[in-house]
Amino acid sequence: MTPVAERADVDVLRRTWGSKPGLIGWLSSTHHQQIGRRYICTAFIFLLIGGVEALLMRLQLAKPENTFLTAVRYNQIFTLHGTTMMFLFAVPVMEGMGIYLVPLMVGTRNVAFPRLNAFGYWMYLAGGLFLYGCAFFNMIPDAGWFAYPPLSGPQFSPGKGVDVWAQMITFTEISALCVAVELVVTILKMRAPGMSLNRMPMFCWSMLVQSFMIIFAMPAVMIASTVFLLNDRTLGTHFVNPAEGGDPLLYQHVFWFFGHPEVYIIFLPALGMVSSIVETFTRRKIFGYPALVLSLVGNGFIAFGLWVHHMFATGLPQIGEAYFTAASMMIAITSGVQIFCWLATLWSGRLKGTAAVHFVFGFIFIFVMGGMTGVMLASIPLDLQGHDTFFVVAHFHYVLIGGALFPLFGGFHYWFPKFTGRRMDEALGKLSFWILFIGFNVTFFPMHWLGMIGMPRRVYTYIAGRGWENANVIATVGAFVILIGGLVFIANALRSLSVGAKAGNDPWEASTLEWEAESPPAPYNFPNLPVVTSRTPLWTPESERAIVVGLREDRREILITNVLEAAPHHRSVQPRSSLWPMLTALGLAIGLAGSIFAFYWYYVASVLGMIGLIGWFWPERPIEVDP
Amino acid sequence: MNQSMWHASGSNALEVRELAVFFGLLLGAIFLVVIGIALLSLTRRHRGIQQEPLEGSHVPSFETESRLRIVVSVATALTVLILLGLTVVSVSVGRTVSASTAPPGSLPIEVTGAQWWWKIRYTNDDPRRIFATANEIHIPVGRPVAIRGGSDDVIHSFWVPSLQGKRDLIPGHTTVEWLQADKPGEYRGQCAEFCGLQHAHMAFWVVAETPDQFNAWFDHQLQPAAEPADDQTKRGQDIFLKSGCVLCHAIRGTNAGAQIGPDLTHFGGRKTIAAGTLPNTKGNLAGWIADPQNIKPGTHMATVPIQPAEMQPLIDYLESLK
Amino acid sequence: MSERRTLDVSGLPPYDISNKSPLFWGQVLMCLIEGSLLCMLIATYFYLRLGVDSWPGPGVQLPGLTFSTWALIPLIASCIGSYLASEAAKKNSRAGMLFGLGLNLALAVVFLVLRWIEWNSFNFTWESDAHGSIVWTILFLHSYDIVADVLMTVVLLIIVVSGKYGPRQRIGVHVDSVLWYFLVGIWIPLYGVIYWAPRLIGAGR
Repeated sequence: MTPVAERADVDVLRRTWGSKPGLIGWLSSTHHQQIGRRYICTAFIFLLIGGVEALLMRLQLAKPENTFLTAVRYNQIFTLHGTTMMFLFAVPVMEGMGIYLVPLMVGTRNVAFPRLNAFGYWMYLAGGLFLYGCAFFNMIPDAGWFAYPPLSGPQFSPGKGVDVWAQMITFTEISALCVAVELVVTILKMRAPGMSLNRMPMFCWSMLVQSFMIIFAMPAVMIASTVFLLNDRTLGTHFVNPAEGGDPLLYQHVFWFFGHPEVYIIFLPALGMVSSIVETFTRRKIFGYPALVLSLVGNGFIAFGLWVHHMFATGLPQIGEAYFTAASMMIAITSGVQIFCWLATLWSGRLKGTAAVHFVFGFIFIFVMGGMTGVMLASIPLDLQGHDTFFVVAHFHYVLIGGALFPLFGGFHYWFPKFTGRRMDEALGKLSFWILFIGFNVTFFPMHWLGMIGMPRRVYTYIAGRGWENANVIATVGAFVILIGGLVFIANALRSLSVGAKAGNDPWEASTLEWEAESPPAPYNFPNLPVVTSRTPLWTPESERAIVVGLREDRREILITNVLEAAPHHRSVQPRSSLWPMLTALGLAIGLAGSIFAFYWYYVASVLGMIGLIGWFWPERPIEVDP
Repeated sequence: MNQSMWHASGSNALEVRELAVFFGLLLGAIFLVVIGIALLSLTRRHRGIQQEPLEGSHVPSFETESRLRIVVSVATALTVLILLGLTVVSVSVGRTVSASTAPPGSLPIEVTGAQWWWKIRYTNDDPRRIFATANEIHIPVGRPVAIRGGSDDVIHSFWVPSLQGKRDLIPGHTTVEWLQADKPGEYRGQCAEFCGLQHAHMAFWVVAETPDQFNAWFDHQLQPAAEPADDQTKRGQDIFLKSGCVLCHAIRGTNAGAQIGPDLTHFGGRKTIAAGTLPNTKGNLAGWIADPQNIKPGTHMATVPIQPAEMQPLIDYLESLK
Repeated sequence: MSERRTLDVSGLPPYDISNKSPLFWGQVLMCLIEGSLLCMLIATYFYLRLGVDSWPGPGVQLPGLTFSTWALIPLIASCIGSYLASEAAKKNSRAGMLFGLGLNLALAVVFLVLRWIEWNSFNFTWESDAHGSIVWTILFLHSYDIVADVLMTVVLLIIVVSGKYGPRQRIGVHVDSVLWYFLVGIWIPLYGVIYWAPRLIGAGR
């Protein structure tokens, strides 16, 4: 290290890293902040759509034998609700947060593969537009978000709805895999010098584990939806056809081998957000960092070993039952350790009760309750009663809304100043929390009871006199309370965009690197990349922290470090912004959309995709580094 | 409340209810402890909620950290122990109640799921003592019943919460579960695996009777349908046999032998029509026959054209099939 | 501010063509994705196999050993071409890259031709039964990957021939080889599953 102060020229950096103006510039942007923001905004639009679908379902179930929705519509809506929330909201919004925050947190200028990043977003958008675009032509899936054959097969689901569903999975899955690959490489190879793995923020750990889970889990859903379901439907294969040697249970195994990890894919990033918020607002280093990291990694592994608990009712051999019960309960250990560590942090910290902290407490309350019902459902005798009833509906909404949505909203309050340069209103934030928290419990707590008194899920109506009326009315009322809470939240965000208090770089005096960047960050993130000497770099006196000099500013140069210690290894030049990722996604989207009508569209997809890739990888002029 | 795990009858459902209470109380207590600690942490260090600006970070004392480390370790160890205990309890209860084989001496019944009704077949070593019915299962109190499940179309799930948990009915597979009722009563069951349009209206009844009543019912079911006793029902039988009804339905003792829809031999004795959708009354039956799509949209029951004048005799005939 | 200590990285190389390059890591992760996909198909193969009495169904012949086994020779040999190309890319030897990529391409094409001939000898399609479905799916997916990589090799060849390439394209040659090793490597277990497993474990139960 030299004492020479060689400050960066921010004007040159801005020209180098900024996007071109205008529509072309917008379409060709490959910057992680822009892509991340697009993911988050698009995902919130799908959250609204999925939420409206939920309200429609609640209205239909508000009274017995209701005729507000027909059976067909109801089945379509609950299929769309599940599909939208899982594939078009929950996963993408977490990816968006990761794409935006990870490069800032690890102290670099962009994600590892910016063009892949842009491509992933366009595929996601295309998938969402494909699903809802087809809805206008009444090609709406109605076999559930899980699409079990034979019900989803060619015989019992004629029409194109299920094909649309299956191919939409391909879109979102490609998108998720792109993000997973680039986040793993960003986290492992592009951390600021000195940020050894044991100094990495918890959020980055959670995104790392989540990305690896995506890499191992997502191919399974591709097999289930495309290879088994779509090929059986359109090509005449027999994977799930018992008459020709296939087996419907095969689909369930493969689907849940993806489907269970999917839950953790959604809520691990949320756990990372909780750690960030807790650390900042208790003003102390998070308690039990190694235990938290090990629990995350443990979660990642165990999550792949308990898919069968979604299939207990199919009648498995007893030994398998015992194993999967034990495995399903084991996941409560790793989740428990994390809760204990946060509680210990809260206990010994000096807590400040911001809106973000409110959401964290809401998370603890709801998620722990969801965990308890999860332990109940891990027990086979109880699962055989609770499975496919409203008890399960209650359970997984407690886990997913409590475990993912509340931390996400908390994280949104927490990072909003970084995204926009302005703070969200604290009072309105707390108000939206209380409305959401109360509305959530009013909606979903009665569902535990409904399930125990025999109401199955996925029914479009129920006959009177079963004792289900009151709880259903309460749940419907609660759903509208949630709506009000959501509107307050959105209103707060929109209002704060223009009138929120100016935030400055570090409004919370937080510990991690993203708060060293401007709010909102400049396109280059940091004028000089930071050097890290502790787990809480911003709580280390500035005099002890060095900065990186010597990176070229007139081209998109980044620093590659090694995996364990993040010691600088070499510089690397990133490609410029480009339209090709968008064009490649467009070509693939056209081909994949066509493929539900005829197989040759796959060739169209391949040819267009290949053309796109050639343009994407074609050497840029001038060549930026001499050969 | 005769479709509820709380309204349990029979050893299986009772054991599961006990297990649920045990799990619920224990886990509920743990939940309260966790939330209690979280809330207590709010009152610690007499820090107000609205302090501004934030102070700098702090490092808790070494003693605090090591105390917390011990507490967290103990809590983790307790979690492991409790979960281990729950696993053992759960597996030992599951060994009997979720077994895939039935105890010896069980009454064998085949249940086949179909969109959207239940085909019931009482099997027997003596082929003369086999018969088919639909949507209503009678069982003797105090005797285990082996349910052998299958499906001809999509996946369904057989579930009578008051007697036993659910078991999926899967095309290409035969699944087994057993149940037993300890007291006479009527228990409602419902399909628990989404099976398409009318999944909501795919219910059935289990009627538990004393062994004597059951045997009488059983012997009666073996009989062919009652001959029409008067002109009206005779006319109804003619209408039935000449109509499209016979393309799907069987009435033993007549020429109607199709197996596509429910067997109607003793239809008049059943509690409900259309798989638990409507109580079995003449008015409901007329509505159902006249316009099945109105009552159960999407049902595979065909709308058979019946002249208005023919409806009453037809209804009277069907309801006479006790 | 100007008193902050600095870490000067201007002395570090401006690019790196090795297994430390981000693109290499990206390629490895892509291979992991493709690998878990294909492993899942292997699991599917055995799951389906265990569910039926006769495998394949009556009247269906197992895929033949002759062409598939001979085809292994050009396939494995083509890795030499990949290796030479990636070593040449590290040394920035244009002639070496041309030779390596060319050799790889030629042998890959021989492999694909042999596979095509073999396919024409099958007496079953994916519509025959579950065995046909899974075998054709594995073959199709693997062939699709091979063809995609061959096309990528063609593009790289054109770029190298044109001479207007930079370090990023040389890294491309390197990771193209990594992908090829993976596709060849994963074929060995797939080949074992499709051609040998039913013969060794027994066609009937």
